[in-house]
Amino acid sequence: MTVVNRSWNRLSLPGKIIFTALPVMIVLAFATVLGIILLGGPVLDLLSHNLPVVRFVVAVTIVLLMTVPTAFLIIYMEMKIIALMNLRIGPDRVGPAGSLLSVVHGLKVLMKEDFTPTGADPIVFTWAPVVTYLASVMTLLVIPFAPGIFGQDLNLGLLYFFAIGGLSVVGLLMAGWSSYNKYSLLGGLRSAAQVVSYEIPLTLSVVGLILLAGTMSLNQIAQQQSGWFTDWFVFRQPLGFLIFFIAATAEANRTPFDLTEADSEIVAGFATEYSGMRFGFFFFAEYVNVFIISALTVTLFLGAWNAPFQWPWQVTVNLDPGALGIELLILFAVVPLILTLAFAAPIWMLGGARVKGWMALLGGFILANLALGAIVVGIAYIGFEWVSGLLWFLGKTYVLVFTFVWMRGTLPRVRIDQLMDFAWKWLLPASLLNLFVTAAAIVVFESVKAS
Amino acid sequence: MPVSPAHASADDPRVTLDRELGVFEPVPPYPPRTEREAEFYTLGDGEMFINMGPQHPSTHGVLRVVLKLDGEKVVDLDPVLGYLHRGVEKLCENADYHQAICYTDPLEYVSSLFNEWAPVLAFEKLMDVQVPRRAEYIRVLSSELNRIASHALFLGWMALDLGGLTPILWSFIERDEIVDMLASLTGQRMLFNYFRIGGVNGDLNHEFMSRLGDWMSKATEQIDSGNALLNENEIFVRRMRGLGTIDTATALRMVMTGPNLRATGVPFDIRRAHPYSVFPELEFDIPTRSEGDCLARYLLRMDEIKQSLRIIDQCLHHMPDGPVMAKLPRLMRPRPGRAYAAVEGPRGQYSTYAMSDGTDQPFRMRIHDPSFIHLQSVGLMMPGHLIADTMAIMASLDPIMGGVDK
Repeated sequence: MTVVNRSWNRLSLPGKIIFTALPVMIVLAFATVLGIILLGGPVLDLLSHNLPVVRFVVAVTIVLLMTVPTAFLIIYMEMKIIALMNLRIGPDRVGPAGSLLSVVHGLKVLMKEDFTPTGADPIVFTWAPVVTYLASVMTLLVIPFAPGIFGQDLNLGLLYFFAIGGLSVVGLLMAGWSSYNKYSLLGGLRSAAQVVSYEIPLTLSVVGLILLAGTMSLNQIAQQQSGWFTDWFVFRQPLGFLIFFIAATAEANRTPFDLTEADSEIVAGFATEYSGMRFGFFFFAEYVNVFIISALTVTLFLGAWNAPFQWPWQVTVNLDPGALGIELLILFAVVPLILTLAFAAPIWMLGGARVKGWMALLGGFILANLALGAIVVGIAYIGFEWVSGLLWFLGKTYVLVFTFVWMRGTLPRVRIDQLMDFAWKWLLPASLLNLFVTAAAIVVFESVKAS
Repeated sequence: MPVSPAHASADDPRVTLDRELGVFEPVPPYPPRTEREAEFYTLGDGEMFINMGPQHPSTHGVLRVVLKLDGEKVVDLDPVLGYLHRGVEKLCENADYHQAICYTDPLEYVSSLFNEWAPVLAFEKLMDVQVPRRAEYIRVLSSELNRIASHALFLGWMALDLGGLTPILWSFIERDEIVDMLASLTGQRMLFNYFRIGGVNGDLNHEFMSRLGDWMSKATEQIDSGNALLNENEIFVRRMRGLGTIDTATALRMVMTGPNLRATGVPFDIRRAHPYSVFPELEFDIPTRSEGDCLARYLLRMDEIKQSLRIIDQCLHHMPDGPVMAKLPRLMRPRPGRAYAAVEGPRGQYSTYAMSDGTDQPFRMRIHDPSFIHLQSVGLMMPGHLIADTMAIMASLDPIMGGVDK
């Protein structure tokens, strides 16, 4: 036994982990194979008979998993873009150009103490960030990212979006009330007043669009905007778009409507007493909200996944790897090599004495990979509808996200009474006017068409 | 768990600490000492206290304000001072005349040169010292630069308190350039300690002049670009207009000076009203505005930057040759007497009243600071406004807590 003990002690930590995990993994593998042999048929039958359920579970998992990197990306975008607007350098230490800083922030938030102040209501205090986070994540389920890529195609998708999106204010209110802090309370009440007020113009501004589209399913609204960019709803509902964008900014608590966490007034609003991952949930929820609001604006008004133009000629790519056969093998084996050498040669020749052989090869390798990547993406773009759709959708969404960041870098904050005035005296009448004009126009056109 | 009575916080007896809940209540633990205190610390229906500061993201320095709120509306407020009190006046009485100057430096740390200038002027009057003309010009030149730095920073803080992130960093660029320039002249970035009794410490040098030339060639553009971000911004202008209005009579009654007074329409500027140094030889206007609100105070400071640039330009053109320091003995014992001197700083009147008893230390030295005076009128301006505006009003008065608490 001593020999075994000594050998065990001499192992490094990864070694110990591997030695412990290996037998377990082998047993698990056998069990899996056995399980598939014995139960595979019935389980597959069950799954195939309940495809919508499987699809839903997979969609929820993917949506939950994608929110975190999305939030990381938007946080990094905001840090870097605002820094450039402020004539600062911004994050530049962690990762290339500081791009991993938000990931590190996430880790830091995980490791911090989760503090509950004395006097706070612990249950409400704990669940408030969860409610806010889930409310914003759940709305992602109905957003169609590309043809065939969506969580669930509800026929009342838009209604679902507003209903669930409005729930996030409950979390903020819970946080504000349970913190036992007057600043938090003020922030929670502000958020309640603000979100409830802006919910109305937000919803009314898209009613005109619903009349035009004749559906509330986001997928169908997206399909109706195919063709040239003039088919986008923003050109048929410009006022609606404007109202929707402003109200959405207020819904997402972004500058200039970020009164709920106005740091120069009420410290951090509802999040004053939060620390650690609970604060992280609020923080993530805010940035996921920015993404969602941008995505919804794109879906409704800016043509969803559709490209702004149509190819004047028909382009088709026959993507059948089986038909290529030996050529495919050559493509994958030889082309990268040739491309690497082809890119490395000019670097080596033009680089002068300072560029050594390996540098040229490395540069050539990178360039060749970039070129191949571009070719593959290009082929996929033409060949698969969902690739082009996803690219266009995300591109447009991140342009809008940039707009939000841009506003944050430029504008000061409005006051609470100005905020309320703006919602009730300007946005609400304007959205009603938009609705009225749209309805009247539809009636007139229908009657003209009928006669 | 035994219920412990509310007890006074150790560092501030006016903060009671409820040990069981760990909650600060901003009500003093003792019975009210004055009628005003009794009135303020009695809550009406639907009112609540909120304790703003001393650790709040946007109080300028360590100021504590107890706000009595009705919802979001400020009903009344009680500023609590003294968190930064260092007893500068007493320190000055225990230092000789040269040493006293450096104690006054960190009072208003954003505009140190003016803090030096007032006591230096008073001591010179006390000792009948004639300052060389070149030294006077250098004083005017460097202090006007400091005024621009201070006003530039004001712009940034003003915007930051209204929620704008960018202007503060743009104005810090302005300030950094000026501060670097002054650092090459004086050797310090913030607390310059440059003025001496009878002159200044060191002549203009090459690095200062080249930095100044670089900056002057782009200063107007740079300042205008910073202004353009705010002056044409609808949100900013709408929030500032009509906010914290104070009329001329009240402003005079509250002894306001400087830009805050001139924003109510009184063209009072010590550089013209009670001229000192070489200001009678220089051409500049005294900008005034009649509205007396935050926007007027903000725009007035922006106008003053332009006038300061004019003064700097003239200083550079008229700079005479000669010594920068009068010939004086190292240990100075003025005759017993009193002297008073005031200078126009970026926030208003800085003045010093010095008494000599014939020794080498001032017997008594009183420092009048505009920030302290202006902070008094906050109580007249804020009630009726919303909690969001408290910081904006405070920022528009531009108080520096180092000067308030002395």
